Amino acid sequence: MTEHDAHADDADHGHGGMKKYVVVFVALVICTGLSFAVGSSSMMEGEQAWMGQVFMIAISCVKSLLVMLFFMHLIWEANWKYVLTIPASLMSVFLLCMLMPDVMLRTWWYSEERWRYAAEEVHVEAVAADSNGEEQEESAEPHASGE
Amino acid sequence: MADKDDHQDDHGHDDHGHIHLEYQPALPINNGKVILWLFLSTEIMFFAGLIGTYIVLRFGAPTGSWPTPHDVHLREVIGGLNTTVLLFSSATIVFALEFARQNKAVLAKLCMGITLLLGASFLGIKMYEYGSKFSHGIYPAKPHSDLYEKPDLYYLQAVKLRLADLTDAPATDAPATDAPATDGEATPPAEPAPAAAPLTEDQKLYGWPEYAAVHKQDKKAILALAYLIYPLEKNRESVLSYVEKLKTQQFQRQLDEEGQQRLNDWLDLDAVGRMSAAGFLGTNEDHDAKHLPIMIPSGNMWASSYFLLTGFHALHVLVGLIVFVILMALKLDSSRADMVENTGLYWHFVDLVWIFLFPLLYLF
Repeated sequence: MTEHDAHADDADHGHGGMKKYVVVFVALVICTGLSFAVGSSSMMEGEQAWMGQVFMIAISCVKSLLVMLFFMHLIWEANWKYVLTIPASLMSVFLLCMLMPDVMLRTWWYSEERWRYAAEEVHVEAVAADSNGEEQEESAEPHASGE
Repeated sequence: MADKDDHQDDHGHDDHGHIHLEYQPALPINNGKVILWLFLSTEIMFFAGLIGTYIVLRFGAPTGSWPTPHDVHLREVIGGLNTTVLLFSSATIVFALEFARQNKAVLAKLCMGITLLLGASFLGIKMYEYGSKFSHGIYPAKPHSDLYEKPDLYYLQAVKLRLADLTDAPATDAPATDAPATDGEATPPAEPAPAAAPLTEDQKLYGWPEYAAVHKQDKKAILALAYLIYPLEKNRESVLSYVEKLKTQQFQRQLDEEGQQRLNDWLDLDAVGRMSAAGFLGTNEDHDAKHLPIMIPSGNMWASSYFLLTGFHALHVLVGLIVFVILMALKLDSSRADMVENTGLYWHFVDLVWIFLFPLLYLF
């Protein structure tokens, strides 16, 4: 370890502290509670479920930031932290973008034969008819009633 | 990397305003930490790939076909408990680091021990969860998996074959009179089929769905069978209204004698009677050993991604536990603080991955 390294380590040691860690831990538990409350609420039923999902992912991002900044000490580290974390994060986002046309939109190009063996698609209009007690004599497809 | 400004920012208070230009050949951290962070940056991409794939698989699945957490026996409470356990362990390992830096080796080791226990509890809870999947026939692959994606003739056939395996009886109740006799082995003369042998409970179970699917092209009967074996909340309304329709005279008059017989046998089944009751768990729950094939749309895809994601995460937890055990054998004083810090960084990353897995798997 060079003299400079020793310097840098000394500088790190002044940060953190038990109190800060306890506060961060409590914040993390509260965030988990929030996610849990939203996840088991009626918000997750019906068409506005996406709002709950976005909220929970936002909470997860906040939690991961808390862990990285405080538990992993990134908030107190020198600028080297950007060298290692930003390229990896960019690559991750890039990977996700690459997966979207390939996997996420896969059903756009399903052949008829592929559909024959695929999981059933829920037909919303048929579900509405079903829940109204209307008959679907000619329907050969089983329909589910909502997500 | 170390230019004048950086240098001043970092150490201005030590230098009392004097400017030192210093060539710095590497990152201003020790080698172990550099390697650990490089490793973590590859891990970020590894798990981003896995989690990203899960997200696009889930949201790209045919509309509404992805199983809900309850469909596959995931309990939010258990997921929440595991999250809290892991968060707590993250806090205890950072305490261990603080104590090690303060040269309080005993306290550091105590915190490390608690972290080890918490990590082990996480794995224990995970094993319990895996057990509840396995006991319901949810595995990532054949031959153990009982999962089927669609209520179609393949599913019906699988149910029949499984019931036949259970009773060691021929799967079909139709006499195989049209099968051409093969040369070579002398086949015993066909026994006269008993004309009106009473159907077993098992035969009654698939009798009506088979008849309806084959003679009436009525796939909803197979959906009703799937619901009877393993009910999914999303199919409830649809199946119950179908069963009500089956009970009407108007519907039954359209059937021939065999159809009516099979339908009445099916409607008389005890499980069909209980189908509409709240909390109906299906016949697989009644007869633990039966393990009839279950129908969960996108269930195979779900199982593959669930076991892959949580399995890789659990492997990382296991590696963390092994490192904790090694550290427990050492004296965790200030000379080993770097070691504790690097272990902690790895453990926090494991926690980080779970922070995203918990809502994605248990709450979405």
